Amino acid sequence: MRKLLLPLALMVTVATAGEQFAMSDADRAMYTEMLENNPADIFVEEGGELLEETLGGEEALAKFLGVSEKELPKYIAGFPRYIKKMGNVVGIDQVLQAMQTEQGKERYKLKNAKMFSMLAYVKSLANEEQFTINIKADEHIKASYDLGEKTFKTARGGRGLSCLSCHSADIIGMVLRTQPLPDLGKVGAGATWPAYRMTKSSLRTLQRRFQGCMKNALLKVIPIGSKEMVGLEVYISTLAQKEKQPIAIPGLKR
Amino acid sequence: MNRSMKQFTLVSLAIVSATVTIFATDLTKAYDMPDASKLIEKDLLAEATKFTMPKSCKLDDLEAIKRGSFFFHNLNGKKVKGDAPKGVVKFTEKKTKDGKVKKVAKQYGNCVACHNIEGAKGAGNIGPDLTGYKAMFVDTKVRDAQFVYQKIADPRVDNKETHMTVNLTTKLFNESEICDLTAYVMSVKK
Ligand code: HEC
Ligand code: HEC
Repeated sequence: MRKLLLPLALMVTVATAGEQFAMSDADRAMYTEMLENNPADIFVEEGGELLEETLGGEEALAKFLGVSEKELPKYIAGFPRYIKKMGNVVGIDQVLQAMQTEQGKERYKLKNAKMFSMLAYVKSLANEEQFTINIKADEHIKASYDLGEKTFKTARGGRGLSCLSCHSADIIGMVLRTQPLPDLGKVGAGATWPAYRMTKSSLRTLQRRFQGCMKNALLKVIPIGSKEMVGLEVYISTLAQKEKQPIAIPGLKR
Repeated sequence: MNRSMKQFTLVSLAIVSATVTIFATDLTKAYDMPDASKLIEKDLLAEATKFTMPKSCKLDDLEAIKRGSFFFHNLNGKKVKGDAPKGVVKFTEKKTKDGKVKKVAKQYGNCVACHNIEGAKGAGNIGPDLTGYKAMFVDTKVRDAQFVYQKIADPRVDNKETHMTVNLTTKLFNESEICDLTAYVMSVKK
């Protein structure tokens, strides 16, 4: 209960102080430098080339999605979304797979690094846009959001934890083994992945990040692209949307 | 349009639509959407469960306290440098589907991730500080061994909304290991 009494302003200070705590001075210097020069830029660029060379670039993507190239950024900012001809609420990566299949190209696995790069590139087309997810748009996106929220709140695994155990409003800013618990909305988690993860020295996607938390907290890791994962992405992205966090890909994470 | 022209158009239309049908991919199967519901189903947490501390719990046993301390401060067998205390394993063996034997790290409590306590390194503050627990809570009769045992075994029984881990209902630990943790939390530390 004492947690609820902490004024919000104080919690924010605690979070910032904690952040410094979790990083050494050397790490922080590196972080500052990487902010200027994100190592993941090169993966995003690679993703752009792959899209251009193997699938026909933005033009082909816009055509597949049934929008004009000009409308593309705002439309991308609405993912995950229901794509009628695909029959599901899907992520950008799944759209890219469907394009690959339609064009008779090799279908990358969802966890393939090249897929991560392409996904990052396509999402970066929506940079500076805010999410345009409308969970009232149709029954499919509503169901996906609900499943995401349910998955977020379901306790399971070796320690009986749920995502909510560590990411609920009343414990944001507290410290779990030197790591301050982030406010997933305020840090714009949905808007800043794919990101370069310094501790993993690689480009990671949002769903891959979810898997990291599952593994650490002993929740059985569920596969990328499953309905539950897509739902989690919808749910987490709407948290960033509520906080008006603009899309900024690639992100840079500790 | 003259007749032959009309026929030509019709024929080519037929050809075009035939090509379209042949090459139109069924996009509902053109991407991966693996099932996760069964994985989650098997991984669900059982109902909050009441436990009674077994009579066999030896709260003053120094060996038990040592094991409890080890469980409290460590995450799993793979992360431990050096030896585990007597009677504690770092790895267990598990048979995989294809009959091979796999070494899996034994998971410990990692309580220090959320609780400060005497000698803690990098403790978190999600849970209350357990420093001086005996003097402050046990000697003053605010808490007893049964309370501590239940809290560690399944904290949901007295706090539905708890952020704490569930340690016995999940079978992460067995009864005797929960005794060890209880003994450690309640012990006088230097
Ligand atoms: C045991 C605690 C715990 C649990 C359970 C947990 N998380 Fe986390 N999560 C953390 C911590 C701590 C961080 C910050 C780590 C860091 O700074 O690198 C984090 C970070 C994240 C981030 C990245 C935020 C950013 O910086 O953009 C996402 C996304 C996330 N968690 C989602 C989830 C989801 C989804 C689940 C459930 C499947 C989950 N978490 C379960 C502790 C947890
Ligand atoms: C993810 C965070 C977390 C972890 C890990 C955790 N705890 Fe807790 N613990 C809490 C919170 C939060 C409370 C207070 C809420 C409650 O009592 O349910 C608590 C309460 C307690 C209490 C009760 C204190 C009192 O007298 O009210 C004890 C004892 C305790 N924890 C022991 C442990 C032990 C032993 C472990 C490891 C096996 C552990 N905890 C792991 C978060 C955690």
